[in-house]
Amino acid sequence: MKYMLLMTGTKADFDWYARWPKQDLQAHFAFMHAFSMELKDSGAFVAAEGLAFPDQAKLVRAGSDGTPITDGVFPEAKEFLAGYWIVDVESPEEAYKIAARASAAPHPPRHGPGGPAENQPIEVRQVMSGPPEELL
Amino acid sequence: MKFILMMGMKAGKESMSKGIMSWPKQDIQAHIGFMMAFNKQLKEAGELVSAEGLAWPDQAKLVRAGEDGIPITDGVFPESKEFLIGYWIIDVESPERAYQVAARASSAPGPGGAPLNMPIEVRQVMSGPPEELQ
Repeated sequence: MKYMLLMTGTKADFDWYARWPKQDLQAHFAFMHAFSMELKDSGAFVAAEGLAFPDQAKLVRAGSDGTPITDGVFPEAKEFLAGYWIVDVESPEEAYKIAARASAAPHPPRHGPGGPAENQPIEVRQVMSGPPEELL
Repeated sequence: MKFILMMGMKAGKESMSKGIMSWPKQDIQAHIGFMMAFNKQLKEAGELVSAEGLAWPDQAKLVRAGEDGIPITDGVFPESKEFLIGYWIIDVESPERAYQVAARASSAPGPGGAPLNMPIEVRQVMSGPPEELQ
């Protein structure tokens, strides 16, 4: 069973990431790199990507003649995808365990030094192999 | 340049009641038929990297590590939350080409075969963290 593990954040969260001290960023990336290697070694790894920051995001619609209409304005509350993993595992529980590992990636305290180190929530959903056969 | 094209939906009762599963069967089939042909064209053009569809939002779980690292799962999301329903990753020469491809996806047929002109979020996919931070 394939599962997607999604890391998301609002613009405010991304502003916070951009303010991390360099050694915290390095520790975070080192964790992520080791985590991906472990997933690869265990055979669970299918794919992982990181996306450009939300200020690069565009919303695209087809106009009446099919040409793209692009817009770069999003509501404040919008959660942007920051990155994801796809893992192939035997059960949802296995996917949740892997998500919990990603959730515990090191980061500086959210509320300044000495504040609580809140773990990052990770959304987990199954990846479908295709549309239901009766709808093809 | 690699770009991700994301299709999202809200999971509130109202949005779900207008969702694809409420459409007449032939409209659903036309929509899926469009998507399959679209994927095939992207593949033939050498632009498709990957494409996936996800399970419905009612299957989504939010997972955090507890203090001992054990997963704490939660299935409650705000009504306003937008869920990723599916995505394409394409490899193209320019952002403009990515927007053109996104506009094609946006025009997928909906109820009665009319183009949905749904919003597609487009963002570049990064090859890795900046070198100075590795």
